[in-house]
Formats: sequence, C-alpha cells, structure tokens
Amino acid sequence: MINNRKRKFADILFIILLAAGFALIIARSTPFVGLIKNFIYFVSFPNVSAANKIFQYAGDFADNIKSIVYIRQENLLYKQKNQELSDKLRNYETVMEQYDNLVKLLNVPKIKDTQSVFARISVREPGEWFQWFIIDKGSEEGLYKELPVVMLRDNGQLCAVGRIMEARKGSSKVGLITNSLSAIPVEIKGKRINCLAEGFNSNLLKITYIPLNANVEPGDEIIASPFSSVFNAGMPIGVIKSISKELSLDFKTALAEVYFESDILYEAIILVPKGAVK
Amino acid sequence: MKKVISYVFFYAFFCLLQFFFGKYLTVGGIFPNFILIAVVYLGFSRGRISAQTMGFCFGLTWDVFSTDVFGARTLMLTVIGYFSGMFNRQFDKDQIAAQVTAVFLASLVYWAGFSTVYFILPEGSRNYVPFAVTLPGTLKIVVTVLITPLVFWVLNFASVLKRRYL
Repeated sequence: MINNRKRKFADILFIILLAAGFALIIARSTPFVGLIKNFIYFVSFPNVSAANKIFQYAGDFADNIKSIVYIRQENLLYKQKNQELSDKLRNYETVMEQYDNLVKLLNVPKIKDTQSVFARISVREPGEWFQWFIIDKGSEEGLYKELPVVMLRDNGQLCAVGRIMEARKGSSKVGLITNSLSAIPVEIKGKRINCLAEGFNSNLLKITYIPLNANVEPGDEIIASPFSSVFNAGMPIGVIKSISKELSLDFKTALAEVYFESDILYEAIILVPKGAVK
Repeated sequence: MKKVISYVFFYAFFCLLQFFFGKYLTVGGIFPNFILIAVVYLGFSRGRISAQTMGFCFGLTWDVFSTDVFGARTLMLTVIGYFSGMFNRQFDKDQIAAQVTAVFLASLVYWAGFSTVYFILPEGSRNYVPFAVTLPGTLKIVVTVLITPLVFWVLNFASVLKRRYL
C-alpha cells in the first residue's frame, strides 16, 4: 500500500520535473534567461565564448527593451490620434445636429404673403425668462416693430412666441406672449370661442373672457384668433391646463401652457410680409 | 533533517568534483561523468524520488554552468534518475557487472537524449554533430564506465560510515 503510494508520488514528481525540464528548454530562447545563464557561466568560467554569448543575449535583451519603448511611444501617438479623431467626431456630430436643424427649418410651413427670417437667440436673461429675449437679426434684415415671432416645433408646426418690441440695426428685442404686457385675442380650436390670452411672466397664459356657458375643457388647444393683429389666424399658441373654479357672473378663466416652452428655444422665425425683407 | 543534510553534501560534493576539479583531473580532454554515476547510484540505492530529484538539481546546475541548450541536461538526468530508480532493490548494487551495465546504459541514454535535443534544436550545438560516434565521446563513456565501480565503492563506504557515526 505504502509502496504503491510512493510509486504514484514518484510518477507524479517525474511528470512535474519533466515538464519543468521542457519549460526550461522553451525558456532558453528568451534573451533574459539566456543572458542570466551565460552571465553565471562567465562568472564561474570566464572565457571568450561565454563573453560573446553574453553580448549576443544582452543585444537581444536590449532590442526587446527598445521594441517595448517603441511600442509605448507608438501607443502614445495612437492615443493622441485617437483624441484628435474623437474631437473631430464631436465636431462632426455638432455639424450634423446643425444640419438637421437647418433641414428642419427648410421644411417650415409656408404662410401666404409672408417670408420667414431665421434668427438665433443671442440673449435671454434668466431673471426675465418669460418676458423677452434678443435675436441676432434687426432692421438691416427688414425687421421692424410688431412683427410676429414664431418657432418650429418638433412636429413641424409653427407656434407663437412673441412679437418684436424694438428693432435695431443688427438685433431685435422680442416680447414674449407670456410677458405680463402681452394680451392676444385667441380662439379655442374647433369650438369657435373667442377669448383673450394674457401673459403673467410665467410659462402659463391666463385665458380670460371665456363665456360662462362655453364648453371649455383641459386639453383644448388655443390658437390665434382672426382678431389678432400680430399673429395669423389659426397659429397654435398653447393648450388649456385647467379651468378656474372661481364663481363669476359673466366670464370664466382658464390657464394654458404655451407651446414654445415645451421645446428648447434656440432659433426663432420672424414672419415678415413679402417685400419687406432686404 | 539528517537526510536532507546528507543530500546537500552529496550534491555539493559531486558539483565540486564535476565543475571545479574536473579541469585538474582531465586527461587529454577526457573526463568521466561523475554526476551520471551519482544519479545511477542514487537510483539503485534510494529509489526513484531521490534519483530523479537529484538528477533534476544536478542537471539544472550543469545547464547553468554551460553554454549548451539550457534545460537539456536537466531533462536527461531527470529521466536517467527516474529509470535507474525503477531498478532499486532489483539488482545487487554491489555487483560490479550491474553497476557497469547500468552506467553504460545511462551513458547511452544520455548521449542519445542529448543528440535528440541538438537534432531538434541545433542552434547551441556549435561543432557537436548529433548521433555521431566520435572517439572522444566513446572514450568518455568508457572512462565513466570504468570508474563506476570505484565511485560506487566510495559511496557505499561513505554510506556505511554515515550509518555508523551519524
């Protein structure tokens, strides 16, 4: 029994030692192993042949180190290139985004007898966010006071934003429909109910003068009335959010959310009567 | 512990004999392979485990102290240690014929194994021709075989002394 176990152990040990021997034969070709081995040999028996071998292996070892250094340098170069390409890709993505925006603007619905002037919003004060902003187009492009300013929504429709309050040479100040100074005659879409949309410096409009017996519900769309002197009749403005529960003898009021605040407003379209654009 | 110390002494003694005193004992470039005799002796007297382990250590040391293919001697002496250990207690190790035959066969295995390694990996062979029967090579085997009984006798004597005094 003990002999058997011993024999088994001897066999396993033999296999391990044999594997180690083969591993040494394979490892001999690595310059580092060769260098150390020949160096030990040279220390024990200094001779010309051993010295030559040391130099040969040292040369191989140095070559390997050199190649590692080159690979590292190359790696750094590739990293740099990768960074450059990433920057270019980012730029490309920005350009693509702008291109998409421009394509969207090209599909702006045409309104009879008007021309569209596209402008970028250059200033929008956070403290007066719902009151006004400044665009980068002015009287030089044919803009003047009281012109309607609209924006293109994601669904491809235009919606009312405001009107030009001041037109300078290269810029204009746009008063938003949410400004407390603004009041637009509006209509409840599909119900032929005329009322007034008044701004109060928030993202909501106060819809006043709704007849008591009018069937107005949250979700009803508000559009510009034919009485509006600024916006074309039917221009979407917002959607009713809630109806006031205050009891009144003659009219009721509602709150409506404006459309232009649901999308990010970077660009505005100014609808200019044909012939006015320079 | 005593066993380990005796093995260390055994290892050191044969390393010194083969690598450092060899150049003083050589005659016409012919020098017996003491390490081969030591591995065969260990196989005959102690068995496979001792013989192959010592064979591996001797081979590794010899490989380090040579410019030949690294690992070739380690492999050869391990194999010789294993196979000579297989005949442990099957032959009378005090019989000169058994000693001489075993060392002769081990020398042939050593030569054949070495030639095979150089045949496969010729880069470190310099002017060594694998499987070529040369006069110095033959003389080396003859000298090794001839000196075997003496080495065995010395080792047996040392073993007796160790048993008596340690």
